[in-house]
Formats: sequence, structure tokens, C-alpha cells
Amino acid sequence: MRTFGRHSILVRSAVMLLGSFFLAGAVTISISLAFTSARQHQAATDRLNRLLDTVESTVRIACFVQDEKLADEVAQGLLKNKEVQSVTISSEDGRARRLLSDSRHGLITSGLRLAREVRSPFNAEKVIGRIQVDANTTAIADDIHDEVRFITLEIIGQLVLIALTVVAVMLVFIVRPIKAMSDGLHRMDATKGERLAVPRNHANSEIGRLVHDINGLAGNLVDTLDQERTLRLDKEVEEKKYHSIFENAETGIFIVDQAENLPSWNPAFALLLGIPTNEVYQGTLNIRQLPWENASRIVEMALNCRLDNIGLSDDLAIRLRNGSRRWLSVVLTPVGEDLLQGVVHDVTEHKEAEASARRLSVTDALTGMANRLGLEEELQAMLRDPLIAQTGGFALVLADLDNFRRINEGFGLPTGDAILRGAATRLGRCVKGSDTLARLTDDRFALILQSVTGSEEAGRIAERILASIRKPFPVDDAQIQIHASLGITLYPKDGADIPGLLRNAELALDRAKTMGGNGFVFFDPALTEAAEQRRHQENDLRQAIQNREFRLYFQPIVDLADNRLAGAEALIRWLQPEQGLIPPDAFIPLAEKIGLIDEIGLWVLDAACAQLAGWQAQGLDRYLSVNISAHQIPDGLPPAALADAVRRHGVDPARMALEITEGVLLADVNKALTWIEAAHGLGFRIYLDDFGTGYSSLSYLKRFPVDTIKVDKSFVGDMGEDGGDRTLVEAVVAMARSLGMSVVAEGVETAGQLDLLRAMNCRYGQGYYFSRPVPAEQFEAAAVRIDKMLAGRVEAPA
Amino acid sequence: MLPRPLLLLLAALLLSPLAQADPGLVLVVNARSGVDRLTLDDAVNIFMGRYRQLPSGLAALPIDQPENQPEKARFYRLLVHKDLAEINAYWARLIFSGKTSPPHQAKSSAEILDLLARQPGAIAYLERSQVDSRFRIVLELER
Repeated sequence: MRTFGRHSILVRSAVMLLGSFFLAGAVTISISLAFTSARQHQAATDRLNRLLDTVESTVRIACFVQDEKLADEVAQGLLKNKEVQSVTISSEDGRARRLLSDSRHGLITSGLRLAREVRSPFNAEKVIGRIQVDANTTAIADDIHDEVRFITLEIIGQLVLIALTVVAVMLVFIVRPIKAMSDGLHRMDATKGERLAVPRNHANSEIGRLVHDINGLAGNLVDTLDQERTLRLDKEVEEKKYHSIFENAETGIFIVDQAENLPSWNPAFALLLGIPTNEVYQGTLNIRQLPWENASRIVEMALNCRLDNIGLSDDLAIRLRNGSRRWLSVVLTPVGEDLLQGVVHDVTEHKEAEASARRLSVTDALTGMANRLGLEEELQAMLRDPLIAQTGGFALVLADLDNFRRINEGFGLPTGDAILRGAATRLGRCVKGSDTLARLTDDRFALILQSVTGSEEAGRIAERILASIRKPFPVDDAQIQIHASLGITLYPKDGADIPGLLRNAELALDRAKTMGGNGFVFFDPALTEAAEQRRHQENDLRQAIQNREFRLYFQPIVDLADNRLAGAEALIRWLQPEQGLIPPDAFIPLAEKIGLIDEIGLWVLDAACAQLAGWQAQGLDRYLSVNISAHQIPDGLPPAALADAVRRHGVDPARMALEITEGVLLADVNKALTWIEAAHGLGFRIYLDDFGTGYSSLSYLKRFPVDTIKVDKSFVGDMGEDGGDRTLVEAVVAMARSLGMSVVAEGVETAGQLDLLRAMNCRYGQGYYFSRPVPAEQFEAAAVRIDKMLAGRVEAPA
Repeated sequence: MLPRPLLLLLAALLLSPLAQADPGLVLVVNARSGVDRLTLDDAVNIFMGRYRQLPSGLAALPIDQPENQPEKARFYRLLVHKDLAEINAYWARLIFSGKTSPPHQAKSSAEILDLLARQPGAIAYLERSQVDSRFRIVLELER
């Protein structure tokens, strides 16, 4: 058993206890000393006062008669008390003071003095003398010392008893159990499951709880150690596994340290970077020694990776000893302790594929020249080039082959492609090698003419291009002749950015096209204005649809054989709020171009059906024809929409005629045929409008289910003067009859023309002679007039 | 309630013994002593032994009435409010030191009158009725 050392709780507590007890004792004794002293003085004073009381009457008498002898007697009596050291008695009678007695024992030693006035025995208000007593303080001090000594001994005794009790209690309740626990802990092997025993009688005390806590802690520690051991074993297995992965991976893996040396790498890395396996670097291989094309890139990457503590990746090129160039994807990741882990893949194939795709994306497959993307990139590069300011600019030319669609339709796509390739070659010959050529869409090309800044030079080149395109293209056995339109913009005069330049070139090209093709036009700000105006018109037209600004006018058609009103042609008008009534020629082409024709067409059909339904309801035997634009066929006005319209209004489709032009037949013959047959199948009549002005192929007439032909008013108008036109109309009427079709003569303006048409047996007539197109509400009036006219030959209106 | 005459009678009975039983005394000296008036204090000092001198410088000779005379007890009661036992106890304390002595104890009233007449410094207390021209009243002691 170990002894209690200097630092034992018991010794420390005992020292602390004794110290504090000593302090407490000292304080207590000092206080009681002061208290006792005060009390003893007070007691001595009281005793002296009582003593003086006993001699009071005698002293009064002594003083009254100024009797020294009696006074001495009193003084000697007082001095018999050992506390009295001296007595002085004096008398006074108002004038003189007289010492009666002055008796003492030795020298006066203290300041405790009592003095009393002596009053007359017969008159208590009259002072006749004085008695003064000095106390013997030595005696008082002896009393005080005796008392303090007793208190001191008492306190020391009590404190020693308490200290001993505390020490004993600590020894029994604290020190012993702790020592027992400490010894137990020394002997205990926690891993074998041993635990501390709870000291006797401490099951529910703090000591007992401490033992439980220690046992709990020991349990936790043992558990944690077990887990740790398991983890370590697992980790060893894992490490072996990872080492094997590291060794066998096809991905290059390496570690870079702070000095840019490679302390380790795997075989795949050695293979990728061409590190000879027989050479032993032993950790001195520096990353710069590897065959990077640009070693500073990887060094910089490693530095940034370390500085920012983030993973970085990049594709870096290396050049192997055999001279081949490879692309490696390198990923660097900080793995702690200033080490970086690198992962390397060979991405050479991927890089090459990417470059190839990049080339393809800017190349036109057919001609091998740049495509639209390529052109825009080239333009961007040129606009960024600071040299552009020195050379003064360039010209951007858009070239479009006129009516190229017909080639494709007429000769087939292979022929079209051959011509496009040929045109591309010819364009290439017309410009310098440094100029850029691109194909934007089907037959639209763009040329960037370097350093061409003047319109004169650009015009010369444009002429050259036009001439070279005009030469016939030999395709198979045939010679195909086409021509082109060119729109020219000059940078920077005509536009400072790419979209602006391209848009302006397109405006110039459109202008060249509308001027008939086979020419070139320089961009002019007026073109922008015109385009602007058209855009306004477009907006107005869109508004017109929303605001329902369209009206239907009706021009009567007369049955010349039966002399009666047969029906009418519905004609659209635009009631523009500012400009008034606008005829269809002024807005239908624009509507066709911007795709509003479909919506307008549907409205026309709907309004016409409504009108027809009205007539039908009145029991009038009339038919109504509406004009169908080539743009509406086949998708803008699908047969289903036709069927829906007549069904909704409950009209007989046989009374509804659809007027189409020969243009419809030119666009896409097969689709047009399908549509016409479908419409005809629904019961609609098909009219061929403006017959004679276009191609007027007789084969079309045979192939399409046309019911009626409308002879163009230009022929009817010229019938009277020119014998040729009259013959032509006659021939058409005859041909139609032979094909089982009816004929409507348009533009009948005079009675003479009417007579001629009757003579030709032309069935129907339409024109100002009968009536102008009128709004619906005036139509009945016109019908009445026509009836009268036909019956009584009433004069036609002027 | 008692009738009014009875009340008056009761009051007279209660008051009359006090008024009659304790008539005043006078302090007298020889007419030749040269003293006209004495204060009560002077009287106390002389009779209780503090001073034995008259204000005129003459040695005072205080004289007590005989022991059995009621005037003596009356005199001390009037002078210092003490009875004779107390006065005797007072003198007993002083008797041994010899410093002073009690007043001369007269054997009879005649002796008092005689001493008053003979001794110029004599001073004594008398019933007012006993005073004649040889004596001079210096202090009237009344209750």
C-alpha cells in the first residue's frame, strides 16, 4: 500500500483545513480579545461606579463641611478595593476649590478614570465638590488575559477536533475508495472484460457513479479498439485491391509531389508517356522530363491545382520518340500532403474526330465550300482582324440562281446538284484564291471579296460572275441555261456587323430578283426603307385580320344560254381604316409571301359559305365561286377544312366553285393533283382561272378534274378588234365543250362582246357590262337589274 | 350626592389640622449682632456645621431647642426637610473627625433666651410669640 505523499488529497486537505482553521481561530481570538477588553473596561467602570455609589452620602457630608479627615477615611476605604489605584476628593463652595484628600497606590498606569460631582446633602442641585477615581488597569488587563487564554484554548480544542473528524471522514469516504479504484485500475485488463468493483457502501454515491462511468468508458474504448482493428484489417485488404487496380489499370495514374517529381506511377502511365520500363528513376523523374509538347502547361496546371486546391483537367499534346503526336486528357486532383494525383487518358482519336466534325460543321457537303456557319465564322474573323481597317474593307456578294426550283422540278435533283456544283466551280474561278466562297441554302451562294471597297471593282466582278453563270451547263445530253441575281454590300459602308451586312445583301438580292433577275444590285439605304414599308404593311395586314377589316364583294355571273343570273364570283376587299378600300392585287401577294394567305383564305371560304347559305335559304338557285391562291394548296386549305366549312353552313358543295390558277399546277404537280381530286371528290366545282395567260398546257386540262374554264378578260376585251383573239376564244370554247367543260368569259364590257360570245355558244359571261363587284347588300339590286336587262335588253350601266 | 353645606364642612375638617398643627418658626439673633437678614442657605450652613460665622463676621453660635421640644423637629423639617434621626445620623458621621460639631443643645427654653440675650453671636429658632425686642428676626421659616 502506498503511503500518502505530499500531494495526496488527504495531506492537502489537512494542510488546507489547518491553515483555514488557524486563520479562523486567529480572527476569532482577535475579535474576542477586542470584545473582552471593551467588556472588561465597561465592567470595571460599572464596578467603580457602584463603589462610588456606596460612599456617595459620606462624601457629600465630607465635602459639605470640608472635612479632610472624613474624606481621607472615604478614600482609604475605596483604596481597599484592588481595582482602585487613586482617589482624589475636593470641595468647592462657589469661590474656592479645596483638596480634601489625595490618596493613591504607586504611579497611575492607565487612562481609566472616573470623576463625579459631589452635591450638597441638603440641596441636590448644588455642587459642592468633586471625587475622582483612577482604576488599576493592570488588574483589569490580567482579567482580560485570563479570559482570552481560556477562549483560545477552547477554540483550538474545537478546531483540532473538527480537523481530525474531517480528515477521518475524507480518509474513509473519499481517499480510501479512490485509492482502491486506482489500485484496481492498475491491475485491471479491460480487454479481457475485467471491470472495476464498486467500493463497499458506495453503490449510490458519487464514487459509485464514477466507477460506473469508468467502466462505461473502458467498454467504449475496448469497442473502439475492436472497430479500429477491424477497419485496419479491411484497409489492408482494400489497399491490396487498390494496388492491384493501380497496377492493372489501362488509365495512366501518377502522383506529383511539391518538387514536381513523380514518386510513383502505374505501368499504363509509363506506356502512355513512353517511359522505358527498364530505366529506374527511383522517384527522381521530374514531370518536365516527360515528352510534353509544352511542358510549362502541365507545370502551370499543377501549380494552379495546388494554389486553389481544386481538381483541374486539360487536354495536352505529347510527342513520342517515334515522332507520333498524341493527345492526352490529364486530370489533376489534390490528394492532401501537397501531393497531386494525375489521371491520364489517350484522347487522340476523340480529338481528331472532334476536329473533323468541326470542319464538317462549317462545310457544305455538296460543293465542299463553306456553309452558312463557315461564312459567319469567316466574317467574324475578318471583323475582328485589326488589318481590316488598313485594307479598307471588303465586299459581301449574295448570288442566287434564278428560278432554280424549276430545274430541280423539271430535271430532277441530281441534275440540280450537278448544276450547283458547276456553278460553285465557276464562282470560284471568278474570284481570287484568298476570297471566301460559301453556299448558304439550295441555290444561294455568298462571296467575300477581299479588299474590294469600290462599287466599280465590285461591279466588274459581278458582271464576270453573271457572264460565267449564263454560259450553258452541259448536263447529260442537254445544255441547260440559267442565270443568276446578285446583291452586293460593301463593308463597312453598308453595315458594321454580320447580321446587318447579310440582311442588306439579301435586300439587294431581292431587289435584283424583282427586277427580273440576271443582274446585280448594290445595297442602297432606300432598300431598307422599302423593306421597312413592307414591314409596316405586313403589320397592317396582321391587324386587318384581327380587326376583321376584310369584306367580300360579289360580281354576278350570267348564264348566256338561259338568259338568267347564274351566280357570282366572291372577291375580297380590304377596308383599311386610313386608306379606304384596297383591291386584292395590292395585298394578296404580300399575304402570300408572309404566310397570312391561309388565314385570309379560310375567312373568305367561311364568308362565302355564309352568303351561299343565305341564298340557299331564300331558295335562290345560284352558285358562288371563290379564288384559291396557289399558296393555299395543299396545306393552307386542306380538304378537311373545305368539308368543315360547307358542313357548318349547311351549303351544297356543288354550288361552291373553287377558282385555281395554272400556277397551282406548276408548283408541285402531284400534291396539287391530290388536293384538287380531294376537293372535287367532296363535290366542289373546280374552275381554272385566268386561262390563257400562263402555260395553259392542254395536258393539265386532261389530267385535272376541271369543271369550268375562265377565259382571261384580256382575250375577251381584244375580241372585237383582233381577229386572232376572237379565234382563240372560239377555240377555247370549242375545246372545253369537247372536254365536257363549261366556259366563263371574263371582262364582258360591251353588248358587242356579249353578242360575239353568244354566237360562240359561250355558256357564261362576267363583267362590267352586267355589274361591277358589289357588296352583299347591293347584290340583290344588281340581280334585279340584270334580270330586267336580260329580259328587256335594258342598257348596261355606264 | 351630598348636600352643599355638608361638603363645605368636610373641606374645613380636612384642611384645618394642617393649618393649625404646624405654625411657622422664626430664626432670631441678638439685636446687637449686626445682622439684619439671613438667607435659607446661610441658615443651613450655620446649623449644619459648614460655616460657624455670621455675615457680620461674628462667630456664630447656633442653639438647638431641647430634645423633647417639638420645635426642634419642626425646625429641621422646615430647614432641610429631614427628621431628627437623619440629623442625628449626620452628626454621628462628623463627630469623630472633630472638624465641626452640632449646635449647642439647650436644656430649656429659658436657656435659649438667656444665651440669645448674652451672646452676641447666638442664633436660635423660636415661636414667633417668644420674640421680644432683644432679638431680631433674620429669617421666617414657614411651610
